[in-house]
Amino acid sequence: MSGKSAAKAVQFASNLAQLQNLMKRDPQSYKEEFVKQWQYYHNLMQTFQLQPSKYDEKLDEMITFLSQVSHCYKEEVSELPEQLSNILKNHSTILDRTMRMTLVKAVIMLRNKEMISAAQVLQLFFKLLRCEDKLLRKTIYQYVVSDIKSINGRHKNGKMNSVLQNFMFTMLQENNGVTVKTALDIMIELYKRNIWADEKTVNMIASACFSKITKVMVAAMKFFLGKDELEEKDDSDSEDNAPKKSAKELVLGHRVAKKTKKRKKKLERALQAVNKHKKKKTAPEAFNFSALRLIYDPQDFCEKLFQQLEKTTERFEVKLLMIDLISRLIGIHKLLLLNFYPFMKRFVQPHQREVTRLLLYLAQGSHEVVPPDAMEEVLMTIANNFIAERNSSEVMAVGLNAVREICSRCPLAMSDDLLQDLVQYKGHRDKAVMMAARSLIQLFRKTNPELLHRRDRGRPTEALKELTVMHYGQQNVKSFIVGAEVISEIENKTESTEQEQDEWESCSEEDDDSDNEWVDVYHSSDEEANKEENQVTAEEAEEKEKLAEIISSTRIMTDDDFKVITARQIAKEIGSSGSSARKAKKRKQQEAFEGSHDLPRLGDIELVHKKKAHDRESRLATVMAGREGREKFSHGPQKMNPFASTTNKEKMKKKVFTMVKHKIRRKKVKRSFKEKQVALRNSLIKRSKNERR
Amino acid sequence: MHKINRDSLRESIDNILKYSTETKKRKFTESVELQIALKNYDPQKDKRFAGTIKLKHIPKPKMKVCVLGDQVHCDQAKANDLPHMDIEALKKLNKDKKLVKKLAKRYDAFLASESLIRQIPRVLGPGLNKAGKFPAPITHTDVLNAKVEETKATIKFQMKKVLCLAVCVGHVNMTSEELYQNITLAINFLVSLLKKNWQNVRALYIKSTMGPAEKIF
Repeated sequence: MSGKSAAKAVQFASNLAQLQNLMKRDPQSYKEEFVKQWQYYHNLMQTFQLQPSKYDEKLDEMITFLSQVSHCYKEEVSELPEQLSNILKNHSTILDRTMRMTLVKAVIMLRNKEMISAAQVLQLFFKLLRCEDKLLRKTIYQYVVSDIKSINGRHKNGKMNSVLQNFMFTMLQENNGVTVKTALDIMIELYKRNIWADEKTVNMIASACFSKITKVMVAAMKFFLGKDELEEKDDSDSEDNAPKKSAKELVLGHRVAKKTKKRKKKLERALQAVNKHKKKKTAPEAFNFSALRLIYDPQDFCEKLFQQLEKTTERFEVKLLMIDLISRLIGIHKLLLLNFYPFMKRFVQPHQREVTRLLLYLAQGSHEVVPPDAMEEVLMTIANNFIAERNSSEVMAVGLNAVREICSRCPLAMSDDLLQDLVQYKGHRDKAVMMAARSLIQLFRKTNPELLHRRDRGRPTEALKELTVMHYGQQNVKSFIVGAEVISEIENKTESTEQEQDEWESCSEEDDDSDNEWVDVYHSSDEEANKEENQVTAEEAEEKEKLAEIISSTRIMTDDDFKVITARQIAKEIGSSGSSARKAKKRKQQEAFEGSHDLPRLGDIELVHKKKAHDRESRLATVMAGREGREKFSHGPQKMNPFASTTNKEKMKKKVFTMVKHKIRRKKVKRSFKEKQVALRNSLIKRSKNERR
Repeated sequence: MHKINRDSLRESIDNILKYSTETKKRKFTESVELQIALKNYDPQKDKRFAGTIKLKHIPKPKMKVCVLGDQVHCDQAKANDLPHMDIEALKKLNKDKKLVKKLAKRYDAFLASESLIRQIPRVLGPGLNKAGKFPAPITHTDVLNAKVEETKATIKFQMKKVLCLAVCVGHVNMTSEELYQNITLAINFLVSLLKKNWQNVRALYIKSTMGPAEKIF
């Protein structure tokens, strides 16, 4: 028996993988072998301790083996985790690379088999980050993320999380750049995977915004701006894009060689790909606001960031990030940070780098609680520096667009003098400037038409009469739901048509009346509104309000009611005609769809490109569209019946030329007298010319 | 579609009133709260909504409103026995964060004269705004008392970090008809704020401070 097992041990010594397999299947019967291997491991270890920087292949294999089967012999290997982590702790930097990796993997294996606690491993690994070994750092990062994920796999483990989070927080305050960055990356990754999506994590990341290590600070700020994912996407795009050509190049390439159908098709396909790409890029960006919302004290955080920004000597790009974050915080939380605006004024120059972005940040950082005088100064600077005839038209358009974006958030900042000056560019020769000025008019028509000159106010609509211009600090508080009075009109109509005796109050249950019914009424009420337009008095408005108040406090409205109300509100905004009403409705819906995020977009400010009136392609397209469905143009009278017989003349036209050649020849014989005369004269002249020579 | 029945709403209001006035009367006036749970709403993506509406009957009569006024308004406030402060008193706070915070805590709402309101961010700093109590303007033509009553009747819906919110819509000393009107108006307004109206509402409860919650939707 003992001889047999000895032979086996020899056999297995060379083949640990097989032994491992057998042990996992039947741990009890292989216990003896395990003890032997364990002894062998101890010997190896002792020699290794003397020279820890040396690579030992046998030990390497043995460690892997032991960590694999450790769960089968828990009592025997109880000291193994301790031993391995001690080696890693004591000799972390002097160890051989491969050896270190094996040890780390063994520890991970032991952790997965729950032989060592998570906090211990985390502590050990963060010490290991000091080693200059990229692969090791990457392994550790991946392991920590996946381990915390598995801890929170089925349900959140609150106790464990708070211990780990506290540990991470201490790591964030370390001096070592790599440690801090890894800790931050881990937290950001866990937040994104919705594992640590709580306030504590977010605020720890927020504290990293004040790190002295630039890399860490930038990473934390990018997290809040939601820029990381976008950039990654851009990178992958640009990789694909690098060998590709732009649309212009493609068209040029097509122009120079022979034009065949195949080449044309090729061009079309390439252009399609380019356009598709463009479309993808212009898709709206999804911002994750929740991280910005979860900050404990945004005002304090923002003030601190601003202090940092004023003092900083970082690169311009980093400053831009800071400004972006500050302005977003101001915009989202409606903070008051009055020093921000004078600070930004110095950047508002046409030649400033990234000036459109800076203007965008100004727009982000404006909201209605900002004192109008603070904002007015900013507007004046923009107007003075950008919107003047000495500047190029692009600069003017950018300035006007920025003014519009700011005013849409903070309408009180605009004074009537400035507005009327700016509006005068509505007839500017450059289209971009003109469009920008007109969009400003449009904005103020809706928010505060009083500021505009009379002729710019547009046709008065019903909505304008109901508009009250908000003063500073005022909130639009109504005691009813705006537009609720429509419902009573409809109810009255239905009652009169259906001869129902119920009061309108008690018939909320019959609200599933068919759609066309209310559409009808909607038109007629519209006409009424037109008639009333010049007679609407204050009394009537008051009456309407009262009605709306009664309705909105007595009956609970249904979805249908809300539909009617919104339809009516839209109808109020445009005066009368049905088609424009429909258009406006469509526009409204689109606005609602697009306006789902509160941030201004860079494209709105940079909208200065010239749109060509009609290029060749589009001209051709219209021509082709015109040709559709009409007969081909042809000479002469067309036959009434296309299947009727053909004349000899027609037949001759279709025949091969050699077949009819002789017939054409014979024409000479059958000439008329006149023809003969002309021919004779010509030949005589020709001959006489030849003789003279 | 919506399933709120007028009669069942009235019944649950009566239940609440009965519980807190007869079954278990407390030593203070309980308030009645409307609690809302939303659905199909992604707080990360969809626009956050916020709105204010003036209810028909004042839900919190004990609310304290402070007038930050110029000479005229201060005199009026004095005559009406309302708490008031003038610009000098505000300047004395010296932008001290703690003092401003204290001031914000002491009152539930603020009113400020139109001539004064623009200076308030500069004089007081961001403290009032931070507490969500930025003053509302009053003009000299307004009747001060009416304005104060209006402020008291105004409630604010604001969604924060979670998918549920609660607002005070009344108190148990109101009649059931008054409560009914307030609740209906509040529900209607809230639903009108939502993008998909009733499709965004998961549940509605009304409840008095110490009483059990009554599900109404």
